[in-house]
Amino acid sequence: MNKFIRHIIFFLGIFLCLGFVIVKNKALLFEYPEYWPKPEYNFSKLSMTEEEFQLGRHLFYDPLLSRDNTISCASCHLQATGFTHVDHDLSHGIEGRIGTRNSISIMNLAWNTSFMWDGGVNHLEVQALAPIISENEMDESLANIVEKLKNSKKYKSLFYKVHQDSLVTGQKTLLALTQFVVMLNSYNSKYDQYIRNELGGEFTEQEKNGLTIFRNNCASCHKEPLFTSKNFKNNGLSVDSTLNDFGRMIVTRKHQDSLKFKVPTLRNIQFTQPYMHDGRFETLQEVINHYTSGVQHSATLANELKEPIILTHKEKVDLLVFLRTLTDKKFLYNKRFSYPRETTSN
Amino acid sequence: MARTIKIFLPIKLKLVTLLLLITNSVLFAQESHLKIEFNPVFNKEILAKNSWYVSRNNDSLQFLKIKFYVTDFKILTKDGNTKSIPNSNFLIEVFNDEKLNILLENVSYKKGDQLLFNIGVEEKMNTSGALSGSLDPANGMYWSWQSGYINFKIEGKSPSCNTRKNKFQFHIGGYQQPFAATRSLTLDFSTTKNKVLIIDLEMATLFNTISLNTLNQVMIPGKEAIQIADIIPSLFSLNE
Repeated sequence: MNKFIRHIIFFLGIFLCLGFVIVKNKALLFEYPEYWPKPEYNFSKLSMTEEEFQLGRHLFYDPLLSRDNTISCASCHLQATGFTHVDHDLSHGIEGRIGTRNSISIMNLAWNTSFMWDGGVNHLEVQALAPIISENEMDESLANIVEKLKNSKKYKSLFYKVHQDSLVTGQKTLLALTQFVVMLNSYNSKYDQYIRNELGGEFTEQEKNGLTIFRNNCASCHKEPLFTSKNFKNNGLSVDSTLNDFGRMIVTRKHQDSLKFKVPTLRNIQFTQPYMHDGRFETLQEVINHYTSGVQHSATLANELKEPIILTHKEKVDLLVFLRTLTDKKFLYNKRFSYPRETTSN
Repeated sequence: MARTIKIFLPIKLKLVTLLLLITNSVLFAQESHLKIEFNPVFNKEILAKNSWYVSRNNDSLQFLKIKFYVTDFKILTKDGNTKSIPNSNFLIEVFNDEKLNILLENVSYKKGDQLLFNIGVEEKMNTSGALSGSLDPANGMYWSWQSGYINFKIEGKSPSCNTRKNKFQFHIGGYQQPFAATRSLTLDFSTTKNKVLIIDLEMATLFNTISLNTLNQVMIPGKEAIQIADIIPSLFSLNE
């Protein structure tokens, strides 16, 4: 009699194990240097699986997200330039429509508490809605994207792999995009190697000097190690009368937020030109010259810029050389983040 | 062989007992349900899409779309206890009969108790990223350029509106002070005879208060949204 029960238990056990093997997806690890702060993003809604990452990757590179199926996220966020729109001052959307701002780079998003140049988006998971719905960008609705995805065999199968259920919803679509973009982390620049005392991270005298200049003049807003402060600042740019963009004030409707924009990260800045919210500067030299001699004084100007920054020509060059150490080639050329050429995730 | 069968039968019996127990608990664990029906009217007449109505301010108007959130239902008992009803978030669509009724499951209430709920979506859910079900941003009740839910959406036409195609559009929402637009509502259970609670939504109350000539487009959180949000609870009343 014992034998019989043992048999039943044995086969039940096997059956259960099989079930788990089928259901279990490959887990993702969210890695970052130990001396970095803890991420702000709460990962609880993500599956943290390879399958959801790949689904998000396909969505990120798919023009299906735009109304006329011509523009994908990657159209304005190219990997090799730090996931931003190189050489375009204002990013353009479907039918050649021009937006009012320069696309912002995408990296280390889990440490952000607000999104977009004006901080209008309060959570990473809903960020994608902004370009999707914007008339000058994708001009599409999430409901319609869900319909398109429901009619796609490829996506039904990709959604099934993540959720063991091929039903597409708006939430699942946004979460998959989040699962992809939250993994786009850059922490392997020469600067990072220098901080970690790694081989190949030795700074030249010029780079060391540049870092000192940076810490004395720029780091109060562009804080290490993420090179941003999550704040909104008026950095003294004159108002472009063709755009009349007052930045954060549009969101908060408070006068004290007039002309304030997000302090962007400087990581990979060597390749993210043009610079500023409206892409008005094409080179980093122009950016540095703005801070030393171009700052316009107005009521909301950042306190940090009220006293002029004075740099000699040599100091400017050293600063520029330091900024290039923030380039992370491992990130910019990581094949896991590139266009998904393979038809399946494995 | 005979021995195996002997053992097998008691196991089978145990299984049957277990099965009965499970079905029993599923069938009898349910408390009563509360069904709520929203009854949209204009001056007590049943509201219909594309019909013309006249407000006290002599605005002629027609409705094309009315959608709103009711969330976070609670029962306040006579003796002062609060019973929250989990996951009670619903999107009501006035011109869609299937989306005018909601069912609150496992709710018990007595005469003298009160029903409390929010019209709109409270702050925490506005800052929690991508949610599912009735709160899925794909329902078209979510702002993209400035995160947050649209609590109440009213769209229609009126010759009083000097706008494109004479349209009026009220997208009322916002969760940050001083422009937080979510309002709560308390209704009394004066009778428990029916398992169905009918709540009238009197649209005339709003349009008798505002003038469509001067106020016809509210699409962002702010003062005007608050002006309308403050009127909205008075649209709802228990139909007895």
